[in-house]
Amino acid sequence: MMKRICYIITVVLLVSFVSLQTRAQQPSVYEVKRMSFNSDAFSEISPVMVNDGIIFCSNRRFSALKDRTAYDGHRLYNIYLAERKDTSGWIKPKELISERSSLFNNGPLCFAPEGKTVYFTSEVETGTAAKDKKFTNHSGIFIAELSGTDLVSLRPFSYNNPQYEVGQPSLSSDGKYLFFASDMPGGQGGSDLYYCEYLNEEWSDPVNLGPKVNSSGAENYPYIHPSGKLYFASSRPGGIGKLDVYFTILNYGTWDEPVLLPEPINSPSDDFAFVAAVDLQTGYFSSNRGTNDDIYEFISTIIRKVDCGTLEENNYCYRFQEENAVKFDTMPFRYEWKFGDGESAIGPVVEHCYSGQGTYLVQLDVVNLVTKEVLYNEKSDTLVLKDIEQPYISAPERINMGERIVVSADSTNLPGWEIAQYYWNFGDETIRIGKEVDKIYLKPGTYNIQLIVSTEPEPGGIVRKACISKNIIVIPQP
Amino acid sequence: MKLNKSLYIFLLLLFLYGISAIPRLYGQAVPGKDENIPFLVTFGKYGETSWGDDDFNAIFFFTILKDFNQQFYIRVFDPDCGGEHDEIQGNFDTRTMFSIYGGKGVDPEKNEDSRGLYNGLNYKEGNLLASKVFGSEARYDNQYYTFGPFNPTEGDFNEKWNSYIFKIVCEGVTGDDGNLYRYFLSRDPNNNIPIEGANAFTYEYTFRMWNDFRSVAHIYPFVDTGIVSIKQHNFDWDADGNILVVSRYKQGIPIPISEENDWEESTIPIEPEEENSSLDFQFHKRQGELVKNNNVVITLENQRGDAIKFFSSPIGGVPVYIPKTTITKITPKK
Repeated sequence: MMKRICYIITVVLLVSFVSLQTRAQQPSVYEVKRMSFNSDAFSEISPVMVNDGIIFCSNRRFSALKDRTAYDGHRLYNIYLAERKDTSGWIKPKELISERSSLFNNGPLCFAPEGKTVYFTSEVETGTAAKDKKFTNHSGIFIAELSGTDLVSLRPFSYNNPQYEVGQPSLSSDGKYLFFASDMPGGQGGSDLYYCEYLNEEWSDPVNLGPKVNSSGAENYPYIHPSGKLYFASSRPGGIGKLDVYFTILNYGTWDEPVLLPEPINSPSDDFAFVAAVDLQTGYFSSNRGTNDDIYEFISTIIRKVDCGTLEENNYCYRFQEENAVKFDTMPFRYEWKFGDGESAIGPVVEHCYSGQGTYLVQLDVVNLVTKEVLYNEKSDTLVLKDIEQPYISAPERINMGERIVVSADSTNLPGWEIAQYYWNFGDETIRIGKEVDKIYLKPGTYNIQLIVSTEPEPGGIVRKACISKNIIVIPQP
Repeated sequence: MKLNKSLYIFLLLLFLYGISAIPRLYGQAVPGKDENIPFLVTFGKYGETSWGDDDFNAIFFFTILKDFNQQFYIRVFDPDCGGEHDEIQGNFDTRTMFSIYGGKGVDPEKNEDSRGLYNGLNYKEGNLLASKVFGSEARYDNQYYTFGPFNPTEGDFNEKWNSYIFKIVCEGVTGDDGNLYRYFLSRDPNNNIPIEGANAFTYEYTFRMWNDFRSVAHIYPFVDTGIVSIKQHNFDWDADGNILVVSRYKQGIPIPISEENDWEESTIPIEPEEENSSLDFQFHKRQGELVKNNNVVITLENQRGDAIKFFSSPIGGVPVYIPKTTITKITPKK
């Protein structure tokens, strides 16, 4: 029995080691840093990117003299705007105030596409019962208009309910879909993600995103990106720890299996409330990886070239033509082509593919069918064939989803280049470095692979770079 | 010593090149050297057209550059009809008349009748400078008879060619035998001394094919500016082999050839690149059963119906086909 346990422990350790090694080989595709406007003692969560800066939620002290707590003694969250001072500094955050600011938790929030209407989380009032310290008020979504730093004209969302939580709204970029989290009855367990569609000037009934997205754990903090990717936090098994950020995308009416974002966005701590710029190269998220909840900025380190040529296959196929013989096709002559590689063909128009680069002497012998005279080497041409000078991606054109493939830059042809790095961008926000690397695509689709090669610094500090791309089609497993 | 030997070889090569680069030296022989035609042929007027002569006369024109101001001679080889070379029908009873004309009315570009292409036209216009009738006469058999001397200015001046034009007419005045003969324009009455820059041409070529499978005869029509097509007419070829039309643009276009006592015609397209150069009509004899003593006739006209000249010495030199090949990259077949 003891022997068996030792064996299992050994296997588990070995697998963990291999997994760790594999992960270690993957270069990080994101850099993260804690925002300077975070307070040391309080929490800052749920950033929203606006033109002037970031709007976020915090339970920080309102003033040195007065503090705000809920009936249960917890500090109240309210909404703040941190404006940029310059490229690196921030002005001290100021509060966005509403009639609910001193009474309830407020936030997270989102903006409608026109930038003025705000959907924010607050608490559903339940009359005098809510004043009982033992009573737990439930969250709901409220809609307001932003006027300066005031939230005015507040009205509740139709599907708020004093029996369960409804909150953390996110509107699609066209304003037609409102995503939110709720533990309303009928879900997959814990908090689930729902959406409502704006039809006939009202929000439709909430729709649960289904079991692929919603697990038995908690799903919350949805964020619908303009690209259609839905980011959210989940405590489901398989993450890096506690709440982690995932994304999914609607694919022909079905939400795909969620994809876990890599470290360092996710960590063993709670990581949630992810938002990103349109190009997904920068953004923010919340995490309690420090002493409390803070907002972090991420920058994608993935290199993706805008100006990247398409891979050209070396082509050594040619058509050889005796022009006048084609024009006057009754001439009694036979045309015999020698291609210079030991191959030959007969006819006024012939085609031939060479096996590779080289210098070939093409000769045309002509037989006069009237006199039987052979005009040897009547015309000759020297054909110099060279491989295309480019980085080269050796990879299959079609693969199955989940299939491990090896991609190689072995056939790169850049004479005179001392290549120091082969950088692969697989088009699915993953990268690898190396002359030959392996890859598994987890979703079907067409991916554009970029291979970027760079040299060691040459005299004068110049680093030469070249980029080539190739599409690869990933088909669903049968 | 070694240097002197090299210099000698160099000068010799230079001399040989110089000779080869002056084709006009051979220009006054009719048929010309490049034509590789053994004899012209004219039958007595009682002969059968099926023997290879459609009209029993032959007209040639000589051109002499204006700059040449010496006397010259027209020599006829084997002018008689009998003995060697000539084609007997029964017994030799043919009399052939050679007449030389100069002066106004000779130039065929000004006087189309002078070309003698159609029966009934007066192809004898001009001043008769000399004439002689030959029968079967041993003293002229396989020998030259020399007409002249003539002064160049006795010819009909053609500004385009900057030359004086002379005409020689050969007629089979009686009999039915075939008189085979050749001409030579010479500075000397007793030797064939060419006249620099001179040439000879005709509009209707009647000649004897070789009695040899391997010999290829040629004629060289000149393609003037503006010609887009040529219609050829050949007569009495006896289906003897093939005619190929060669130019620097055509490697060899076959044209239909006539049967016995029959005309055949076809049209040959002319490319712009072929203008102002000569074509090479090659006559390849049929392999296998040898067609002997084959006499043939050929004429050409352009798309407007104007007759085209055959020059004994091809203008611009013998046309050599220039192969035109292209190599194009293609998409490989999957």
